[in-house]
Amino acid sequence: MREKLTTISSSCAGAVENRCIDGGQFALTRQSGHNIIIYYVKSTCKGVPMKRVSIIGSGNVGANTAFFLVEKGIAEVTLFDTKQGIPKGNALDIMEAAPIRTYRTSVSGAETFDEIRGSDVVVLAAGSVRKPGMQREDLFEENLQVIKQWAKPVGNLAPESTVVVLTEPVDLLTTVFVRESGMKREQVLGVGGILDSTRLVFALSRDMGVSPENVSALVIGQHGSEMIGLAQCSCVSGIPVLNLMLPEQFESLVNEVRNAGDFIVEMAKRSTAYYAPSAAAAEVADAVCRNTRRILSVSLVLKGEYGIEGIAMSVPAVVGERGVSRIFLPRLSAAQKIQFSRSAEKMLEKIGKEFS
Amino acid sequence: MSTVSVIGAGNVGATTVYYIAERNIADIVMIDIVEGMPQSKGLDFLHSSPLRQYNVRIFGTNSYKEIAGSDVVVFTAGIARKPGMDRMDLLKTNARIAHSAALEIARYAPDAVVVAVTNPLDVIAMVLLRGTGFDPNRVLGMAGVLDSTRFRYFIAEKLNVWPGDVRAMVLGGHGDSMVPLKRYTSVGGIPITELLDEHSIEQLIERTRAGGAEIVGYLKTGSAYYAPAASVAKMVESIVKDEKRLIPAAAYLQGEYGYSDIFLGVPVLLGKNGVEKIVEIELSEQEKNALDRSAEAVKAGIRSLDSLSL
Repeated sequence: MREKLTTISSSCAGAVENRCIDGGQFALTRQSGHNIIIYYVKSTCKGVPMKRVSIIGSGNVGANTAFFLVEKGIAEVTLFDTKQGIPKGNALDIMEAAPIRTYRTSVSGAETFDEIRGSDVVVLAAGSVRKPGMQREDLFEENLQVIKQWAKPVGNLAPESTVVVLTEPVDLLTTVFVRESGMKREQVLGVGGILDSTRLVFALSRDMGVSPENVSALVIGQHGSEMIGLAQCSCVSGIPVLNLMLPEQFESLVNEVRNAGDFIVEMAKRSTAYYAPSAAAAEVADAVCRNTRRILSVSLVLKGEYGIEGIAMSVPAVVGERGVSRIFLPRLSAAQKIQFSRSAEKMLEKIGKEFS
Repeated sequence: MSTVSVIGAGNVGATTVYYIAERNIADIVMIDIVEGMPQSKGLDFLHSSPLRQYNVRIFGTNSYKEIAGSDVVVFTAGIARKPGMDRMDLLKTNARIAHSAALEIARYAPDAVVVAVTNPLDVIAMVLLRGTGFDPNRVLGMAGVLDSTRFRYFIAEKLNVWPGDVRAMVLGGHGDSMVPLKRYTSVGGIPITELLDEHSIEQLIERTRAGGAEIVGYLKTGSAYYAPAASVAKMVESIVKDEKRLIPAAAYLQGEYGYSDIFLGVPVLLGKNGVEKIVEIELSEQEKNALDRSAEAVKAGIRSLDSLSL
């Protein structure tokens, strides 16, 4: 397919040659004299179509998730918000940075919810956020309505997608989303453990004075004050952390991470954290879009794992193009097991009331 | 590692920090008068560093003495434009904020290059120049990069080409009087005039002029910050890495283009000493007239500083 673009003087030809656009190429046809006709040749091989991520909620977390995805060239992003204008404004602003940042992915603001149709990933970043002094659970009643509003439409419009839930309280709402949407548990992942884990990696790297790249750490369980940091699954360049620090030191860092979200809310006063949560959501979306099969600690509805049934909690899982393909269950200490069960029971009680 | 201080931890300031961190350009100090805000955003960034793999230090503070030794200071503090508000309406409030910051910059970071971002930035740059007493090459304003990235994006969108392949030069004041130069605009080296007709180019220029307002119109309670922050980061990178990029920026003119004692968007060579050279390019009569009008608008703003004794 050749499409005539323009005729230029031969002195400009060097700049045109081999410029790829949309996988296609400019072709030059030399004419007599000094003129050259430029054709745009569309790529003949079809290539893999770009994955599509839709984000519901264009607040700080939603917009920055879009931003992270576009920057890394991971997917085409559609931003949706019930407040008209906001997603379009954010999307245009991000695209206006494209010439400087040189990304070729695009982000657009949706006018209707229908535009999420056929998405590969749907990120749910809608709902209220905490104010100082609030617990995540205090948002349950309010944000339950948000989940109920969007779960069924998402299930209908993007039944094959992987859903990434950020709305708090994330474990409870991930559970509700699965029930309401009719989607499979492997398709609905809450951003809980992955965020807690990145914070723990940060704290470990800071305390030990090593690059975060060398540190891995695993946090599982309920997102929030009851999270469980697994020292047995945390290491520095393969060296178990407990070879490098005392258990009490590790525990105190886990405690810091427990309060990390609260700490940011207290400091920021008017907002919650959003850079690290957005980076975490983008990481999950990336795993799905590029089928990276990374092991991420995501919240998903458990079916007997660690003896728990019917509530979402974070466990390490392999995330790829179809969502979760495999769950790992690292061995827990007796205390960790008790903590895991206790969190599950409390949440089941809360959610049971709602659905009885 | 160089240090960049960002004054103002709002959306533009914080997103600038993001860009600087993502490319590991420099250690960063974020400073804001609102207690807790720069600290919380700084910490939030650090929490994401294992995922995003950056290796720079980010520090949020309310105290100016932490900017000591900065190589670059970016000034983004001030109130943002509300829908329908002209940039000049912002002048009084933001000029006062800039003046007090300038004194602190001169005190704690006497060797820094200062980049003004807060609007109306041509005027704010003047306040910062006067307040710091720095050599004029070490104070400049971010405008042309933003205006040209918008122009470039609109062209890329229109032609359906990769935005990085579009080059453009936008001069003049940042605002309704900016002067996009179509003669210096090209796509993959091809002059834009060969790819688009006159009318289409004019439409894109109009959209560029109203680029900031278009976003404000959508957001209603906020203004653009991704593209502005990307523009600032580009300038910061050129300074910190001494890249000597030739880009448009608001520079203090002393006779160049026939203007004096004014900040105006012109092509500059940006390196570790700030504005290392102001490049004078040939302008058509029409372009020169447009630049004159733009300079008049900036001068009016600067005159109003006199009434504030700044």
